[in-house]
Order: sequence, then C-alpha cells, then structure tokens
Amino acid sequence: MQAHSKKRVCYYYDSDIGNYYYGQGHPMKPHRIRMTHNLLLNYGLYRKMEIYRPHKATAEEMTKFHSDEYVRFLRSIRPDNMSDYNKQMQRFNVGEDCPVFDGLYEFCQLSAGGSVAAAVKLNKQASEICINWGGGLHHAKKSEASGFCYVNDIVLGILELLKYHQRVLYIDIDVHHGDGVEEAFYTTDRVMTVSFHKYGEYFPGTGDLRDIGAGKGKYYAVNIPLRDGMDDESYESIFVPIISKVMETFQPSAVVLQCGADSLTGDRLGCFNLTVRGHGKCVEFVKKYGMPFLMVGGGGYTIRNVSRCWTYETSVALGTEIANELPYNDYFEYFGPDFKLHISPSNMANQNTTEYLEKIKTRLFENLRMLPHAPGVQVQAIPEDAVREESDDDDKANPDERLTQASLDKRIVPDNEFSDSEDEGEGGRRNERSFKGRKRPRLDTKTTGEGNEEKVKSDGDGAKPEGKTEEKDEKVASSDDAKKDTAPNP
Amino acid sequence: MTANMYRVGDYVYFENSSASPYLIRRIEELNKTPNGNVEAKVMCFFRRRDLPNPLVQLADKHQVALEEEVENQKLKKPEIQDNNDPSLNGKQKHQLKHRELFLSRQVETIPATHIRGKCSVTLLNETESLLSYLNKDDTFFYCLVFDPSQKTLLADKGEIRVGGRYQVDPAQMPKELETPENDQRKLEDLETLVWTPGHHLTDRQIDQFLVISRSVGTFARALDCSSSVKQPSLHMSAAAASRDITLFHAMDTLHKHNYDLASAVSSLVPSTGPVLCRDEMEEWSASEANLFEEALDKYGKDFNDIRQDFLPWKTLKNIIEYYYMWKTTDRYVQQKRVKAVEAESKLKQVYIPNYSNKPNPAVINNNKGIVNGNSNGEVAVSGKACESCNVTSSSQWYAWGPTHMQCKLCHTCWQYWKKYGGLKVPSRIGEGESEVKKKSGSGNVSDEDSVSERAPSSLASHRPHRCSIIGCGKEFKLKTQLARHYATVHGLAVRAGSPRPIMKTRTAFYLCTTPLTRISRRLCRALMQTRHAARAPFWAINVPAIKQECQVQMTGKSLAQLKELLVYRKKDRGSVTAIATRLGQYKETVTPEWLILTDKDKMPKAEVVAFPKPPKAADGSLMYERVPNKPEAEKIPLNNMSPHLKRRAIDEVNGMDGHPVPQQGPPPKRSHKDLANLAQQAGLNPNAMVPFAPYIGPCPRPRQIISQLNGKARIAVTRSGSGAKQVLSWMEAPEEVLFRSTEHVKKVRRQLTTPELRRAARKPWRKLSVKGLEDMVVVLD
Repeated sequence: MQAHSKKRVCYYYDSDIGNYYYGQGHPMKPHRIRMTHNLLLNYGLYRKMEIYRPHKATAEEMTKFHSDEYVRFLRSIRPDNMSDYNKQMQRFNVGEDCPVFDGLYEFCQLSAGGSVAAAVKLNKQASEICINWGGGLHHAKKSEASGFCYVNDIVLGILELLKYHQRVLYIDIDVHHGDGVEEAFYTTDRVMTVSFHKYGEYFPGTGDLRDIGAGKGKYYAVNIPLRDGMDDESYESIFVPIISKVMETFQPSAVVLQCGADSLTGDRLGCFNLTVRGHGKCVEFVKKYGMPFLMVGGGGYTIRNVSRCWTYETSVALGTEIANELPYNDYFEYFGPDFKLHISPSNMANQNTTEYLEKIKTRLFENLRMLPHAPGVQVQAIPEDAVREESDDDDKANPDERLTQASLDKRIVPDNEFSDSEDEGEGGRRNERSFKGRKRPRLDTKTTGEGNEEKVKSDGDGAKPEGKTEEKDEKVASSDDAKKDTAPNP
Repeated sequence: MTANMYRVGDYVYFENSSASPYLIRRIEELNKTPNGNVEAKVMCFFRRRDLPNPLVQLADKHQVALEEEVENQKLKKPEIQDNNDPSLNGKQKHQLKHRELFLSRQVETIPATHIRGKCSVTLLNETESLLSYLNKDDTFFYCLVFDPSQKTLLADKGEIRVGGRYQVDPAQMPKELETPENDQRKLEDLETLVWTPGHHLTDRQIDQFLVISRSVGTFARALDCSSSVKQPSLHMSAAAASRDITLFHAMDTLHKHNYDLASAVSSLVPSTGPVLCRDEMEEWSASEANLFEEALDKYGKDFNDIRQDFLPWKTLKNIIEYYYMWKTTDRYVQQKRVKAVEAESKLKQVYIPNYSNKPNPAVINNNKGIVNGNSNGEVAVSGKACESCNVTSSSQWYAWGPTHMQCKLCHTCWQYWKKYGGLKVPSRIGEGESEVKKKSGSGNVSDEDSVSERAPSSLASHRPHRCSIIGCGKEFKLKTQLARHYATVHGLAVRAGSPRPIMKTRTAFYLCTTPLTRISRRLCRALMQTRHAARAPFWAINVPAIKQECQVQMTGKSLAQLKELLVYRKKDRGSVTAIATRLGQYKETVTPEWLILTDKDKMPKAEVVAFPKPPKAADGSLMYERVPNKPEAEKIPLNNMSPHLKRRAIDEVNGMDGHPVPQQGPPPKRSHKDLANLAQQAGLNPNAMVPFAPYIGPCPRPRQIISQLNGKARIAVTRSGSGAKQVLSWMEAPEEVLFRSTEHVKKVRRQLTTPELRRAARKPWRKLSVKGLEDMVVVLD
C-alpha cells in the first residue's frame, strides 16, 4: 500500500563517512552526514526507505569525467607522502582549501559511488527518488580540486543518467555557484545546469547572469546571481518561476538537485537567510514533477543546521511529516538550546530587492526563450516511462509466484493503445523508434546551422500548429496512464 | 535604534578626516579592545578619486563599455526597454561616477566611533539600471576590484573555461541511449541493501524489536565486567544500551533475518552470550578520555598528532568518532565556556550614536573671508554661492577645496560631498570633476583636464580634451585643437607649451568679468595691482577699497568715457596658428626625474609583508583566500551550554538551600518513553529499578544511600522556561547529594499539599517556605 501512495525512496549511506576529517579548522565536516543519518533513524524515517551502502567508485568510474592523471594523483596522495607531490598538488589545486587528509581517496570513492549507484538505480527504474547526502561536491573540475571538492560525483551521476535520458536537468541551491557541474556540461545541450547562488566577491567567482553556456550548450547554463540575505519568500519567488519555465522549455526526463545547506541562515560560510522550510520547499517543488529525481548533499558548514535540513528534506522526499521536536540521538546535545527541527531566520537585511529579482527573472526568461522547443520529444517520453515501470515490475516478479491482480490488469491493452506500443511493452524499456523520433529533430537542427538554428526551429514549430495539438492530446492520455500506475498521487 | 546598530557585514561610512569625504568600508569584525573601545576590522572600498590616474582611465573605459553594452541591449531588444530608463544625461553620468566604488581586498582596523552611517554596496548587475542607484541615497555599486599593492583593476569574475580539458568527454555522452541489456554492471556490485521498507512488519513490531535489543544490551552490560565497572547502575547500562549503535545493529539484524522477528530475536542471544554493541564513547576508558582531553588541550584538533603522541593504540577513525561524541558531554561544554569568554571580545554588533555635529573645522563662521569676491565674477552676490548648486542661502556653510580658492558648499551639497566624494554637478572648477587628489595631500582641487595635462602626454592622449567653459563642453582629440577652440570660440588664450605652468594653475577656471569690474580694473590699477595679483594669487585684494575708489573715479566721467575704458586692446602675442603649431610639436614631453619609477628590484623591501600576494594557481591566476563574511565566533551560540550550566547552578543552590533534590539519573534514550515503561516492555520489573542513580565518576566509588523522593520512578527531565525538554546525558550525572528522610522530614512533607510538593519537585531551586525544613540536607563530598 505504502509503496503505491508514496514515492519509492532509496538512500545511500556508508557508516564510515562521518569519520573522514578534513583537518583542524576546516569547515567541511563529513560528520554532518552521520548526524543526519542518526536523526533519520530516530525520526523513524530510516525504516521507510531503502537504505543502501554504496560501493566505492573505482578509478575507472571516476575517469568517465576526470582526467586519468588527476584520478591517479588522488589515489596515490596521502598526508605522509605529500612532499613528493608538491608540483602536482599545485597543479591539481590540492593543499589549501582542499587539503590532503587521511582516507581522502576513499571519501571520494564513497561520495561518488553513492551518486553513481543512485543514478543507475534511477535508470533501472528501481526507484523514483534517490538520496546521497554524501555527494553533491559540485566544485570539482575535470583535473582540479576546488572548494572542498575533489571528485565531482554529480557529473558522474549525470553521465550515468544520460545513458538513458536524453535530457537531464541539474539544479543547484547551494549558496556557492555550481561551477564544476556547469563547466563539465558547458557545451552540451543535453544537460541544463541551473544554479542559484550568491554572486559577487564570493567563491568561486563564476556564475554571472551572462554566463549561459557555449557552443551547442549556449542557453543551457542558467545562472541566478543573488545577493546577501535571501529569505524564504524571495527564494521561492525566483526558484518557482524559473524552474517552472526551465521544465517547460527544456523538458528534462530526469532531475538532479544539489541541496547544499550553506544557503541556510547562520551558515558558517554562507550569507543567505533561508530556513529549513524554505530550503525544503525547493525539494518539494522539484519532487512534484514526478521525474526520476536524484538528491545530493553539498555545502553546509553549520553542521547542526545541515543535518536538520537534510533530515527534513528526506522527510519531504518520503512525503512524511515529522515532528518539530527532535528525537533523542547520539548527537542530541548539538541541537541545543531549543532541540527543534526548524530554525528561524535572522534579522539580516535582504539585499535582493523584488525589483532586482524581477529583472533577473525577465532576463533569464529571455534566454530560455532561445531554447529550441521540442514538444514532440517530451510527449513521447511520458508514455514510455509508464510502460517501462510496468515491465520492470514484471521482470522483477518471481516467475513462480502468482501475479497480483493489479499487475494482471496492467497487461490488458487499453482501448486507446495503438499497435506500435505492443512491441514496446515486451522487448524492454526502450523502443528504438521512439528514441530516434525524440532526439533527431533536435540533433538535425543542431547540425544544420550555427547561429540561426534556434530560430529555424521555433519557426518550424509555429508553422505546424496542427501537429502540436495532436501531441498535446497524446500527452493527456499518457498522463492518465501514468496516474493509473502510481495510484493516488500526492 | 536599529539604524545606529552596526553589525558585522554592514557597509558603513567612516570618517577619517573632517575635510575629506567619508571612506566606505564593510565591517568584517567588531572587536573590543582591552581598554573598552570597539575596533572594527573593515574591508576597504575605493572611490574613483582614490585611484591612481592610469587606473581612473581604465575605469572610465570600462564604464563606457558598460554604458554601451546597456545601450546595445536596448537596441537589440527594444521591447524590454525600461520606459523610465532613458539614456543618462550629463549630470547623471557625472553623479554616477560618485556611485561607483572599487572593491579592494585590503583590510584595515578603524575605531568604531568614527563610523558615520550605513550605506549599501552591491555588485552591479547588468539587469539593473544605473539610475536606480542615483535615485536611492547611500547606494553604491562596484564591478571592478582594485588591488592597491599591485595597482591593478580587475573584474571580479571567475571564468568557466571551455575546451577538452574542462568539459566532459563527448564520448561519455553517446547520442544513442542505452538499453538495459547493454549495461553489464549489476546493481549488487554498486550497492548493498541494508534496509528495505518492503516487509510485513508493522511500525510497532519494529519498535518492539528495538526495545528488545536494547534490553538485551542492558543485560549484556550487566554480565560484562568492564561495563559494570563503568556503569554501576542499571540506568547507566540502559542508557548506554540505548545509544544509536545498538539501534542500527537492531535494524541490520532485522534485515539480515529477512524481517523475521523470531529469528532476529534469537540472533540477539547467540551461544556466546547476549549481543553487546558499544560505540567509541563507551569503549574508551576514563583514563583514555583524560588522555584525549589533555591531548586536545595540547594539540588542538590535530588528530593525527594526538594519535601518535597520546593514543597510538586507537585508530584515527576511533579518535574522530570519539571526538564528535565527546562534544556532547559536559566536559566539552566547560571548554567551550572558556572559549566563549575569549570570544567575548568579538562583538556581533555595536551601537554608535548619531554623530552629533562636533565642531567641524570646515564649517565657515558666517561670511568671514570673501576676499577675492570678484574673482569669480559674481560680484553681485555678497560672497560666493555654493560651489555645487549655486544657492546663496544655506543654514550652514562649509569651506571646501583649497584654501586659496575660498570655495564653499551649502549644507546639502556638503552632505553629498561627504558621502559621494564629489559635487552634484560638474563644478566650475574644472568641467568634469572636481576631485581632491590624494597625491597632492593638502586637498588641492584639480579637474579632469588638469589631471590629463599633468600626466605624461602618452597617458593624456587617451582622454578627450574638453572645453571647460560652462555650456560648451566640446571635446577635442588634441590639446592644440582645444587651444584653438578656446582662442576662436571663447577668445581665450591658453598658455600651452611647457606643461609646467599648467601644473601650477591646477584650478583652471574662467572669469566672466562684468563691465563694472573691467572699468574698476582700469581705474584702480594702482590699488588693484593686477599684474601683482596675477602673479601672487594668494595676495588679498582689498575689495571694499577698490569699490570706493572706483566709485570716486567714476563720478566725474561721462558714459562715453566709461565706454572707452571698456574697449579691449588686444596685445600682440603672435598669431594663434603659431601657438598651435608650437603646441603640436610637443609630442614627447620629457619626464622629470622625480616621475621616473624606481626599478622593482631597487625598491626597498618591506620586512613584513602585511598582505602578501596569494599563491598562484596552476593556470597562473592568483588564489585568493576567501575572506569570511562572518567571524566564526559568531557561530558559537553562547547559550548552547545553558542546559548544563543551569544545572550546575541548580546543584549549588540546592546544596545551600537545603531543599530536597530530585537527582537526575541517566536520561531516557527517547524522550517520550520513560525507562519504567521500557523495562516493562523488556520484561523487567520496574520496581527493581533504582530511580535516582548517584553520579559515579570515571572510577567507581562505593554506593551512597539513595532515596526515593516522590514515589514515582521517573527520570528527571528538566524543563527550561521555554518548555523545551532538555535531557541530560548520563555522562554528566550531578554531584552526590544525600538526602536523609527522617521522621521530621516526613512530617514536614505531609504539611505540604500535593500541588506544592509537585511544584517543588519540578522546580527544585525554588525555596520552600516550610518550617523545619532547614538543616535537613547533608551534602556529602
């Protein structure tokens, strides 16, 4: 019963993660992930999810994005042999912000392993929401550590998702710009990176409104530069319209959300004024789209608030309400003096005026308007998802066991199903034809021209209003199907 | 009130000299000095006028580019053009220059009392109209970063790099999507399932199993010798058995046994005896704990060193895990308190009252010295008008500019000058800008043109030459052209040639003489000594005397005679063309020796570099350390320790008051379940539990007499005023107190009503006013 009404949530955690220590005085504390985990247990959320211990990502997996040299370096560097690597440490920016600590490579392995496993899980349709609080290290570059991040688990996860999804959306609500992910996918139109961050005299210095991607990826990087003191209300006022627009124009089939908790009020490094509730609202909003959804951690340097936030967001993902009173746990004393889940904003001034946010929004909308519309693509994506889900269930079912009535019902071909979907149900998740149909129009336009491609495309859309309405009808039908499968949707 | 509260992170005006404009700073830290003053550590923002000349030009170029970009965008997308954002006019452009700041990463310490108000500084965003800054008081923007030591001006912007070395290898993003069969990997290799909600157990059953495993753990501790030393009371064993490690183990056990309760329960008691899960907190002996604290004192949180020198038998992970648990104990709180006292010198905010107008040396005591009254051609006005807005009446006048100029500003313009470092309108003293150049130090006024002329001509060639006559403002590429313009249009001869004389007349201004003035010049030549006055501009001319003399002389003259006086006889100075040619020949001026920069290697080296250059990254860029917005100290909430501190205080009060003290035993693991309940579920007799455990230190001590006060076996849970439950950790049991309940006490107790008794139990620090209760309590040491 529960599995139907609620989303299926997979959660990745390794009990070792809390014991990695960046060094004295370093603000990044993996311990916060353990604090979150203990809170989840004592809140009773643990028992509502599938809990996985991730594998340790191999060097081979990491080199899907990172350069071989860099990964080799990460694998071999240790605090006791640092002096042999002086030159490389400089080159790979390891030393200051990104120190060499005991178990550095293992830590990267666990963080990346979680995100990769989660992405594979989503690909296999074995879960709807995957959570890896140990991931979200969004600053790591191809051959460079940066901002406490060494291996970019997000990029690795997205690469995994791209195997099955034509378009993946990445959203970043860390107070810092998600430069590593943006840079990795700066020139591709298959990943849109949307980052909300403090901009101006702030790490990492990138994320200007005008940075919109390059080459094929032009208009596929969206940056929302913000100023000090963002509060819940302002954040929502910019997050919701932008993400809605992005969803509408980009039409991704999977979403990755980086939930960096340094955008919370009172963060040691941050300068926003969000509460746990405001932060969690972003998760809630993205979850509503019902797409394969990967949630990863990220920044967050006032650890008691980080664990509060991620605990709450786990509950949001699960669709379970939890009490404001924190349950007793090993780290209960950290949460004094109030021992509550929710935190109140400070009285700091919000330097983001409505006018400012409005202008940013307008500008971004204009950029998004430049995206080639591909309504045909998305419309086809939805029925597939529905079918895939079924077939997957059936695959997993024990052949010796009797099928449930529900799954038998699913096998009945509905009246509105046409012949071409027959082979879809049997063979496997994906239908060749439909993929080609979904991808080609976009690719073709891409190859035909450089500058005018978007225009050409939108003109083409305008010229065929009939086709459009047809597709819309199909979409309605398909969403009905989807509803049937997932039963009472929240 | 809030307006005068200055917090860390605020942008403020700061006055360092009464005559010059405010400095703009951001508060990074507020510190109390030993003598009680407050010092602010601030980050510096520079105004355009503070920049060295070459950089001003760079900034100008940047601004022009910025304006153009804005214009271009408007051209491209006329539909979004803001109606109330017309192109900036000259005055606005002028004022905008005052609103632009240049961020520097220079930090300095200033006395907080010199703060003069708040302002706001934001990074310019191109969606914003520049006008929005002009329309709001005290708002500034910046887009460039000035490095005072390097004398560079850079955009504060990182870069997303494009190229194969930065982006994902396209081969990793195949266009053809995969089918599940292609994926050779098995999910099992990527992850291990440790819990699934897909089981048939109810929540209640899971809870029950958790309680069982905790009770088994309690019993295991009873059997375990080392545990019984550490936890001599059942409570402490139960609390230790309720730590998260036991719960995680219980969940794992359930999963391993396929959510079969029976087999999971039986696995809790294998042949080797009941399962005992202990975390680092419990594992560590008292002496190890002491060693750790000692080490922490010595090395700080360098756990590698701690391990090496103090606890080599522990792994680093052991130590780190222990450290994070140790942070929940009372011992840590005590250490924190010490730190908090140290941090007290760091303030979060400071109140600085409005700067009551202390005597400002710039204030002019009513129309004192208007000496060269006619020199600016406004003879009609008694005294000069405001240099900026030309008003002639103001509540307060301020001397402004170089003293010999005798310029003054009205009150509002003075405020503007102090805040924005310029005049509202391009001043007559130079068309573009009237800026006090910090190099001249003494506060000489100079204008853009003079700046350009002073600078080596190679630099000057970047800037247009603008006519300084009001209402003209034409621009020329070459100095000679300007000179020709002056000569032909305005009939002015500009002394050109050597740059030296021009340097002297930094305050280029134009005199518009009235006929009367001209007449007076001719009539009172002896009195006025024009030539002498021209050579010695500081020499005071006795205006009233001249007026008088002029009047006397004029009385006898006819109108024609007077007109004759006005006729201008041109002096032959050679043709203008000749001058122009001469000017043109000056392509290369000789740089005076004192202007030649010293070689970098010959520069004296500072012994200590206050702001050393950050190290270079691999790509050659400088790696700036992040300057934190807020000091860390702020993040340590002082009241974090309150529950514990409060409790200690309570103990003391209790000891003195002689009031029955309900002792705090170990806390329940989950606040909503008390131990009696728990014990029942575990099949133990609640009566067998000792309600209030005495504190047992690191080493065991003989038991003290324990008494049950209010009959109910409940764990003491203190409630603070807010009603929040604060469960006290079993690690921090209070000092021992013995309460001997004699006949007398019992009698006294009976005098109390039940509510009174209950209240007393809940609020043990309240003094009970019952006769005969004193001298009842004996505190054992």
